[in-house]
Amino acid sequence: MTARNIERALFAAFAAFMLSVPWTIPALLSGFWVNLIAEILIWSLFAASVNLLFGYVGLLSFGQALYFGFGMYGVGIGIDHLGLTFWPAFGLGIIAAMAMALVSGILAVRLTWHYFAIITVVFSLIFYFLAVSMKWLTGGDDGINFSMPPTFTFGKSVWSFTDQTFQYFFILATVTLCFYLMHRVVRSPLGKAFLAIRDNDVRASLIGLNVYLLRLVAFVMAGFLAGVAGALFAFFGRYASATYMFYQVSGEAVVWAIVGGAGTLFGPIIGTSVFILIRELVSTHWEHHALIVGFVAILVVRLAPKGLAGLWADWLENLEKPAADGIAVNTLRTEP
Amino acid sequence: MMDTLLLLALNGLIWGLIIALIALGLSIIFGLLDVINIAHGDFFMVGTVVAWFTLEYTGNFWLGFVTAPLFGFILGALIQRTVIQSIRGAAALSIVATFGLSLILQESVRIVFGPTPRRILPPISGTIPLFGIEYDIYRIFAAALSIAALAGFFYFLQYTKVGTWMRAVRHDRDTAIAMGIPAQRVYVLTFAIGFGLAAFGGAVAAPITTVDFRGGVDILPFCFMAVIIGGLGNLPGTAAAAVLLAFMEGVIQSVADPTVARIASLVLMSAVLLLRPQGLFGGFVR
Repeated sequence: MTARNIERALFAAFAAFMLSVPWTIPALLSGFWVNLIAEILIWSLFAASVNLLFGYVGLLSFGQALYFGFGMYGVGIGIDHLGLTFWPAFGLGIIAAMAMALVSGILAVRLTWHYFAIITVVFSLIFYFLAVSMKWLTGGDDGINFSMPPTFTFGKSVWSFTDQTFQYFFILATVTLCFYLMHRVVRSPLGKAFLAIRDNDVRASLIGLNVYLLRLVAFVMAGFLAGVAGALFAFFGRYASATYMFYQVSGEAVVWAIVGGAGTLFGPIIGTSVFILIRELVSTHWEHHALIVGFVAILVVRLAPKGLAGLWADWLENLEKPAADGIAVNTLRTEP
Repeated sequence: MMDTLLLLALNGLIWGLIIALIALGLSIIFGLLDVINIAHGDFFMVGTVVAWFTLEYTGNFWLGFVTAPLFGFILGALIQRTVIQSIRGAAALSIVATFGLSLILQESVRIVFGPTPRRILPPISGTIPLFGIEYDIYRIFAAALSIAALAGFFYFLQYTKVGTWMRAVRHDRDTAIAMGIPAQRVYVLTFAIGFGLAAFGGAVAAPITTVDFRGGVDILPFCFMAVIIGGLGNLPGTAAAAVLLAFMEGVIQSVADPTVARIASLVLMSAVLLLRPQGLFGGFVR
């Protein structure tokens, strides 16, 4: 079995598992775990937005929670204050996040590396404190609770997030679509331009790439991913709160993305799953689960500096190598 | 009105001196080890907690000024050897490792100290008249102590052998090693001193702020801003920026509520970053 086949088989198994979750998981564990997997999907998308910037363009953003928060508040304010239905509220969340990413990106992507990391934190802190103080609009730390409008209405049949299975599949479909879009972008000439900037921005500009514009495009795309994640999370939890805009939320996503493997499509999913599963598995037995999370983060750094996805890629490569040697030996033997 | 302005400006000034201590540690750790230390706020927090425990078990507050930095220094050296050494040079990994460290420190403190914030009474109470207002004596004392520690640190860096080693390794690691400087020991020492400074800041600040296992979270972005605005690698600039930032926030607080003051200073900070990314005080000093 070649590495490519192993990966294909694994992907097929993963896809089959994700599609069967609403039936297999309640039978094996409980309905709670279906929601947990939905939550992991949402946070993976958020980690993917960090990964798009850091893993593919080389910009370390510590402020992605800002766009997550705008996605969340777009939905929350849209439904609670403006009385919007599901789809307009979803759209409002995404547009709000992208618009914010565009405005802050125009300023932020002029800077790189440490300065970029700091300015993204500063921007997200500004809006975090604004959200905390503008209680009439945002509800501050308590947030806004809203009741869920239906997603689809076909005559008499109504589909909404109150149905756990529908909620799961809606989240799965949206997150899959976003990951597919990201996969297409990364494979496209635009994605290659991103990689060129990540590896050497001076050379990229010398071959005629508009580094500033490309970074801005990537920043708005990342804002889109974070905004979709935030909007989904608002629907999922039926509320929006300023606490999700704090810099620690951004920091967690950075850690998830790097632990999973920055610059790989599936890395953020792996990293997010590992951390959220540890949190859930340990927290029911032991109050101080954060200790375990801390030790895991340090262990991963020591044992898998390229992230868990990098560890996997190395393992596959080693699997290929002896096989290649075997072929070489065979050809030698058949020589007269 | 004038009195409030003066009081808050003085509070800001003194808080800025404490932040300067913490930010200096952050800056040397970043400058020498290329480590983006997410756990640095928690180093400060550990200092406040050690001060609290020292007072609790010995009844002597002053001992905290020795135990907190000593505890920080030893723990810092241990952490450098066990965690930081293996990731040298990789800034992205340092974020993950120190994030893990931050969780471990916070959670350990939550286990031994408990989740409820506590207060320490200042060991010297009372006020003295200062510029026409009655000002808290302990805060004056805290300012003097911070200034002394800052001066001591700069003296150490400039005029002692080990301090010269530290500057040499930061300037050019390979040449320094070729000249026989034990770079590995310098790294351990740098991290230990960085932790020690933050913990000392914690002990000084303990009676002014609250002792809480999450006490480092709010302070961390502030320290990073001081480091960047002061100019990366520019240590006196970092100290000046910390004082300036906190002073400014204090002044704004006299006319607006603390959140608005925080927002105003953040907006100003982004302006500085965008207009003078090399920092307020000159360029990149290596």
